[in-house]
Amino acid sequence: MIADGAEDEEKWLAAGAAAFKQNAYYMQRAIDSNNLKDALKYSAQMLSELRTSKLSPHKYYDLYMRAFDELRKLEIFFMEETRRGCSVIELYELVQHAGNILPRLYLLCTAGSVYIKTKEAPAKEILKDLVEMCRGIQHPLRGLFLRSYLAQISRDKLPDIGSEYEGDADTVNDAVEFVLLNFTEMNKLWVRMQHQGPAREKERREKERSELRDLVGKNLHVLSQLEGVDLDMYRDTVLPRVLEQIVNCRDEIAQYYLMDCIIQVFPDEYHLQTLDVLLGACPQLQPSVDIMTVLSRLMERLSSYAALNAEVLPYFLQVEAFSKLNNAIGKVIEAQEDMPILSAVTLYSSLLKFTLHVHPDRLDYADQVLGSCIKQLSGKGKIDDIRATKELVTLLSAPLEKYNDVVTALKLTNYPLVMEFLDNETKRIMATVIIRSIMKNKTIITTAEKVEALLELIKGLINDLDEPQGLEVDEDDFEEEQNSVARLIHMLYNDDSEEMFKIISVLKNHFLTGGPKRLKFTVPPLVVSALKLIRRLPVEGDNPFGKEASVSATKIFQFLNQIIEALPNAPSPDLAFRLYLQCAEAANKCDEEPIAYEFFTQAYILYEEEISDSKAQVTALQLIIGTLQRMRVFGVENRDTLTHKATGYSAKLLKKPDQCRAVYACSHLFWLEDHDTIQDGERVLLCLKRALKIANSAQQMSGTARGSTGSVTLFIEMLNKYLYFYEKGIPQITVESVESLIQLVKNEESLTSEPSAESFFASTLRFMELKKEKGGAIGDRYEEIKL
Amino acid sequence: MPSRRRTLLKVIILGDSGVGKTSLMNQYVNKKFSNQYKATIGADFLTKEVQFEDRLFTLQIWDTAGQERFQSLGVAFYRGADCCVLVYDVNSMKSFDNLNNWREEFLIQASPSDPENFPFVLIGNKVDVDGGNSRVVSEKKAKAWCASKGNIPYFETSAKEGTNVEEAFQCIAKNALKSGEEEELYLPDTIDVGTSNQQRSTGCEC
Repeated sequence: MIADGAEDEEKWLAAGAAAFKQNAYYMQRAIDSNNLKDALKYSAQMLSELRTSKLSPHKYYDLYMRAFDELRKLEIFFMEETRRGCSVIELYELVQHAGNILPRLYLLCTAGSVYIKTKEAPAKEILKDLVEMCRGIQHPLRGLFLRSYLAQISRDKLPDIGSEYEGDADTVNDAVEFVLLNFTEMNKLWVRMQHQGPAREKERREKERSELRDLVGKNLHVLSQLEGVDLDMYRDTVLPRVLEQIVNCRDEIAQYYLMDCIIQVFPDEYHLQTLDVLLGACPQLQPSVDIMTVLSRLMERLSSYAALNAEVLPYFLQVEAFSKLNNAIGKVIEAQEDMPILSAVTLYSSLLKFTLHVHPDRLDYADQVLGSCIKQLSGKGKIDDIRATKELVTLLSAPLEKYNDVVTALKLTNYPLVMEFLDNETKRIMATVIIRSIMKNKTIITTAEKVEALLELIKGLINDLDEPQGLEVDEDDFEEEQNSVARLIHMLYNDDSEEMFKIISVLKNHFLTGGPKRLKFTVPPLVVSALKLIRRLPVEGDNPFGKEASVSATKIFQFLNQIIEALPNAPSPDLAFRLYLQCAEAANKCDEEPIAYEFFTQAYILYEEEISDSKAQVTALQLIIGTLQRMRVFGVENRDTLTHKATGYSAKLLKKPDQCRAVYACSHLFWLEDHDTIQDGERVLLCLKRALKIANSAQQMSGTARGSTGSVTLFIEMLNKYLYFYEKGIPQITVESVESLIQLVKNEESLTSEPSAESFFASTLRFMELKKEKGGAIGDRYEEIKL
Repeated sequence: MPSRRRTLLKVIILGDSGVGKTSLMNQYVNKKFSNQYKATIGADFLTKEVQFEDRLFTLQIWDTAGQERFQSLGVAFYRGADCCVLVYDVNSMKSFDNLNNWREEFLIQASPSDPENFPFVLIGNKVDVDGGNSRVVSEKKAKAWCASKGNIPYFETSAKEGTNVEEAFQCIAKNALKSGEEEELYLPDTIDVGTSNQQRSTGCEC
């Protein structure tokens, strides 16, 4: 039976429409032949179809619209009849002869419409009569449509201000009374529907009620369109009466819908001036009413009203819109004990958006909202509703989006407290949002105090949080997050060295206590930041004001040492090693010998104790040799110690070719072209000879192990080193030693079997030729070499 | 059957929420304008008598809710429309982009007998706003759209200042009249021999 419902309904509608059309046809014919009696008879029969109880609101509306169109023709006919001399009063009586009440009332409304138009009686009398007569229909569906017909035909005949129906006796008050009465009656019918029929059909009934809602709401639309409903009239009559009806009906559907209607159909200006009354009704509504949506929409409307009309802003302040809304929300949440946390958060989110738009200069308002929000959340622990969490992120993002400047958000003292309610994952998401906002807007954070506040906000990314068991953070996500923190460090900057040092010190304190696993991401940019600061420091003794600078290079180097020190514990020894060398170079530039030496020592210790992989050793040693070569700050003793160690490391590498290469690279440590005191040809030669010896033994080893050649390449590399120093004119590097090395390579059998070595050698020879051709002092030296 | 001289023309105004449908109707019918935004609920109409080629017509202008949640009973009132007016706000691209939806929705729901040639009129409203500086939909773009939909007449109006409103509705009335949407022809399938109607219909005026 229920399954066939829709199909049956189609049949009923089709049957109703057919009977309807037939009667409409005869009605039209009667009209065409000016036969009033028949016109009334057939129209009444036609309207009888509206007496059905078998149609759903949608289908009934279909039939109603047909009737509506036909009745317009009848109305025109009535009008013509009165012009032909038929008394409208008689007509008004005549239509009441219809046998059934529903057709009778439709006809009465139609005749009433003509009656008002003829102005033979005051509009208000007729309207009053009609709205009272309509009480005759108490069936909700039929009653609602009948009254909506009355609303529609009276729409342009209300004694509104400026209307032709306004008169001494007829005022806009009568118009308002009429519409309010009709509204009240309709709402009663509508609400009563909820309580009719069996309980199991509740869902269907609610769907039907929902479909019918606009018939009721339409009355509010009519009121809003009345010229005479000015602010006073609205405040003193319309709003209190409508709200009274809404509150007293105690019906969830009606309350939710009609509150929304009021907000949407009446102008913002009115809402602003009657906020007390409107908001005062909210806590009186049924606890199940979705007041959150209603209030959110109100705030949305008011925000865009303020956004579009800057001149109304003073009124917002004058009526204290913000505090009224804030209070109302508090009261509503209090009144609705079971309100889900999501609704509460959404309400505050809307309020925050409202105040950010309307009062962008009132940060205290925004902070108040956050404070109220905290009050609601506290005692409830972390939020576990995903949607509520999302809404909280929206709420927290709003100030960032509004001001495009995290510095402003940092002034909101309640902001970090709200963040406390987020679970760890969301905290991190929120932190990333904050960082993204900073990067996007290129916001520079300039004081240590603000940096401290910022770090508090993003501490989800700075500190290890107590993760519940089994909830490991994804490796890639973690890396991504930490990289964003690393980028952030470069946005924390102040031209003033002292403040800048404070900033990096704050960072240091947080990073060092935040757990070891993020250090490898955060320490390098912090080192870079500190090194940059060193470079900016005035040269010592260059301080014209004689002011004792509180930030000295020494102090920063100390700082650097402390942060890099943390790295070996955070299993990143290779990274610490590199950073030490970098710092050593910086100390070199600052002419700080003991500090540079200290950094080198640290790097050496790491090399010895932590770097065990042979490939990593090769790379590390190259870095040591390269850095050491560039150092100018060391005195003889320190330098000797360091170079001695470096050559020692070189000879101890695992593979012979690596040893050879490292040792010959060490030769550079003894001959610095631009440095008179470091030009020790003997030791250069010593290095080269030692390297050559290693190359020889490498060759012998490869001779036994068949197939692994490559030592010839080593000899060619050696030749190139020899040439380099020979060209520099180091006396210990003789032309003979070069020649014998060339001969050695030429005699090497494997040379022809190794195309890469062969072309390397050819290039080397060609290079020598070129040098010769170029002539000059260098050319002359090359000239001496006999090939 | 005599073809009755049609005197009632039904016009439906459609468009996004806030483009000024109600304001256009109020300006045309009552010569009034209010700057306040008031949402429309359901469907509402006003009538206006218009003179055209020495004949008097009643223009029944249906204003509709742009917000879907205020259209709970559906659109049965589309039926029998003689012209459909599509309105957008020249300062809102979204309201222009949605015109296609409104047009298609109307053709589906009203199902006119000849959808290809059903008369539409396009109105770009709010040309007065900010002296035209905040305008985002150009006249050219709007006209191109009209051309692509079978040369829909186009008007740029300001309901606030009354600019072009009268002209637009003149055109709307003219097109409604030409629409050729005849009322459903109905012939009763059962003929009651005994009734007086029967007698009248044998002696009909055709």
